[in-house]
Amino acid sequence: MSKQAAFSKSAAPTPAGRAETRTGGLKLLRKALMQLLVAGVMILNLIPLVIVLSASLRSPANNGNPLNLFSEISLASYQSAFERMHFGSALWNSIVLTGVSVVVVVIIAAMASYPIARIQSRWSSFLYLFFLAGLVIPGQMVLIPIVQMINGLNIPNTQYTPILMFITCSLPFSTFLYTGFIRSGVPIEVEEAAHIDGASLMRRFWSVVFPLILPVTVSVIITQGVWIWNDYFFNMTFISRASQSPLPLAMLGFMGDQQNPTQWNVLFAACVLCALPLLVAFSFLQKYFMGGMTVGAVKG
Amino acid sequence: MNSTVMKKTMYFFALPALLFYCVFWIFPIFKLFQYSITDYNGYAQSFNYVGLSNYKELFSGSTLGNSIGNTLMYTLVSVVVGNLIGLGLALLLNQNIRGKGFYRSISYIPTLFSAIVVGFIWSYVYMPDSGMIASLLRMVGIPIDNLNFLGSYSSALYSIIFVEIWKNIGITMIIFLAGLQTIPNDLLEAGRIDGAGKWKLFRNVTLPLLATSVTINITLSIINGLKAFDFPFIMTNGGPGDSTNTLVYSIYKMAFTEQLFGKASALGVISFFIIIVITIIAVLTMNKKEVSA
Repeated sequence: MSKQAAFSKSAAPTPAGRAETRTGGLKLLRKALMQLLVAGVMILNLIPLVIVLSASLRSPANNGNPLNLFSEISLASYQSAFERMHFGSALWNSIVLTGVSVVVVVIIAAMASYPIARIQSRWSSFLYLFFLAGLVIPGQMVLIPIVQMINGLNIPNTQYTPILMFITCSLPFSTFLYTGFIRSGVPIEVEEAAHIDGASLMRRFWSVVFPLILPVTVSVIITQGVWIWNDYFFNMTFISRASQSPLPLAMLGFMGDQQNPTQWNVLFAACVLCALPLLVAFSFLQKYFMGGMTVGAVKG
Repeated sequence: MNSTVMKKTMYFFALPALLFYCVFWIFPIFKLFQYSITDYNGYAQSFNYVGLSNYKELFSGSTLGNSIGNTLMYTLVSVVVGNLIGLGLALLLNQNIRGKGFYRSISYIPTLFSAIVVGFIWSYVYMPDSGMIASLLRMVGIPIDNLNFLGSYSSALYSIIFVEIWKNIGITMIIFLAGLQTIPNDLLEAGRIDGAGKWKLFRNVTLPLLATSVTINITLSIINGLKAFDFPFIMTNGGPGDSTNTLVYSIYKMAFTEQLFGKASALGVISFFIIIVITIIAVLTMNKKEVSA
């Protein structure tokens, strides 16, 4: 687009036009510098990732200088990592944990935001702040009593126990997003129309309001889905068997110690395997990932 | 409006979420207050009430002051540096640059990684001798004998803060970019016609209109910084010495490796108040600024 503009300018060699081509040249130079700057920053930002990718493609025993990028292409490290982290079952565990948590969060956070956004009273403002306050509390702090409580309530310590914490920790931010969007984005008139047609409160919410807040639902699924997928902390607390570990937890075993020094190439292959599912999802759903982050930012 | 269409029965909609929230988030916090005045050790079912002695121990020991200091430093640096870099990147990528869509996508990639993966990658980057930075420096001929980012008392904290910034920069940038795109072009054009220079234009037009994004980004990074746990846990174990002990990491270590649940709970209670007070002050100050801007 900008190229065309420059072209049309030089096509009209009036005196004013000549002066403009000179500043146009300066502009071009500035643009080139800018381009270089951006590329430089990006390269600095991504060097670690490129090196990780290159090293993961070496055989486990290759301890050559990792800066000789892509000097060997072998899948041996991947094979080793794949087996040691039980990739198949870890992937499945991640999918189940994240899937169940996100579905429940979407349902109960959307429901909770409905009265908070619609009723104007001290109670609803209190509920709003009550949920919002949870944002600042670190999960590690709540963990001491939680471990005790879960034992006390006789909730069995299974691989699904972390789901309880995932749901709870996701509520503050999700409620915040939903409330903001219902307030500003769902006109009351639609609901009044449904009310006059005799729709019950339940029906009104699920078939009128809920479809209208789909953009926030996408945002909640993305933001909460990514952190739950990546979480190792609650998983580490409640899951002890390797066969029950989701991906990030399966990573923990790769750091070496004095007796077994870290096999970096295998570790890097494990890193790539661990990040791969989200990267694939991101490459297909980029628009939603980047948009999802900003729904709250622009509306809230 | 509250009348016939918006019935009070709507409040029932909030029940399931409230149930989860109260049982697994609010109730544990009250329990934390209770444990903080006991000698509870985490596994024995019986414990004694010991009054305020946990608090007294904390206030006379060095852990509390040290972890508060580290946490505040972590928060301050990650808020200031993270937002400056994020804003800079957003301004760059808001220009008419070839491949900006591609650049936006790739700077978002690190935000998709688990903290575990990021911690491992950066442990390698920082490794003395054969790590990435050491190798790069050796390649260009800079001596690297005393280079130990994570192993030296003075640099470990800043090294892990940098990792935190690297991981979150994509989100900060995207939020700034979204803000930049809401600024109408005619406003900037009008400023230019009035003869405002680049800096004046940025200071008096762009920045005030970015107020919402700035508030959100700063709030998010303050909350994030005060809760800092991942990288001390994965990369340094709070060390060397106590140089990377943040509040949350200290609580964790006290409770789960030293088995001092009572004392850890007391530290939790203190952290709870520190975090709440700082967040409230920050949010209130920024709201005031945003209105006046």
